[in-house]
Amino acid sequence: MQLTRVLLAVWFVMAIGTTPLQAANTVWSGLVIAQNVPQPAPIPPELTKLEQTLKELFGYNQFELIGESSKTLKTGEEDWLANSKYFALQVDARGENDAGYTLNLKLYKEKDVLLETDANLSKSSPLVIKGPQVGSGQLLLVLVVKDDEQARPRHHVEPANPITAGWYRLRRMIHRVIP
Amino acid sequence: MKTFEEKWTAWLDEQLSGKELADFEASLPDLAAAEAEKRDELKLGAFLKEQLAPQAMSNAEFFSHQLQERIARESGDRSSGTKSTWWTIPRLVWSGATALALFIITTIVLMSQHPSGEQSEYLTQILQSRVDPAANPNAAIYIFESKNDNKVTVLWTEGLQSLPSDYAAK
Repeated sequence: MQLTRVLLAVWFVMAIGTTPLQAANTVWSGLVIAQNVPQPAPIPPELTKLEQTLKELFGYNQFELIGESSKTLKTGEEDWLANSKYFALQVDARGENDAGYTLNLKLYKEKDVLLETDANLSKSSPLVIKGPQVGSGQLLLVLVVKDDEQARPRHHVEPANPITAGWYRLRRMIHRVIP
Repeated sequence: MKTFEEKWTAWLDEQLSGKELADFEASLPDLAAAEAEKRDELKLGAFLKEQLAPQAMSNAEFFSHQLQERIARESGDRSSGTKSTWWTIPRLVWSGATALALFIITTIVLMSQHPSGEQSEYLTQILQSRVDPAANPNAAIYIFESKNDNKVTVLWTEGLQSLPSDYAAK
């Protein structure tokens, strides 16, 4: 009977360890017009970390936000819209995995779908989509996962769950052996 | 000096002889009845000797009997012996195998729920992209990652229809 209790306890701990923590991440999505102007405006705060990358990639000196949306994901299956006067980025989250979220993105120009894509948006890797040329500039779509700390800075940062971390490590090892 | 009963028993067993036999038979009131009784006694003795003799068993019966005795003895020993533990070696083995099987099943189920977790853990992964080929017949899509520390995944489109600057309005 004692061994039964020990086995049950081990199983319970493993079950707890395999349950993904519901970290409330926020996905920021923005519609950006990039262009070269003589007097560039400061880059929006949401894009500060990406400023250098965007400049290197696209060669523009100004990045103006024409539409944006921040969505806190709890179930990982929410959907939302970031829109400007003529464009709309519809984001349909289709589940969470340990790296981020599976998203279906649709870029609308008024009622026409210009571009549709499915992506696994990583928590540590922003997504930038080059859209159509608009005048002398370029439409860009930017999606960034902000972690709990960034989204709600007043909250205390929870320490990493060592059981969950160990479990993910074990899964990665098994994935390497059995792809 | 033998009593009558002793002489009677000896006469039935035909152990009297000579003068003793003659004297005893002469003392019997009805010799013919006594002779008939003697014959009945002898018949009964022969019958009993035949029926009470030990019966020989065949080999199969003998082994079956031995086995039954042994099973009965061991059952008695087990019930009267010390109480055995539930965790016998075979049960432990089965329990371990069951726990391992459950663990493997759980692992497989969890992995199947997150098929792309490993690949996209560090970089955003584009699964598929499409543009309207009618509106953008020359459109092309490229996917790459930035080389710097930001780990930006870029979906680069070429050949999309250009739009007037009015579309840059907020």
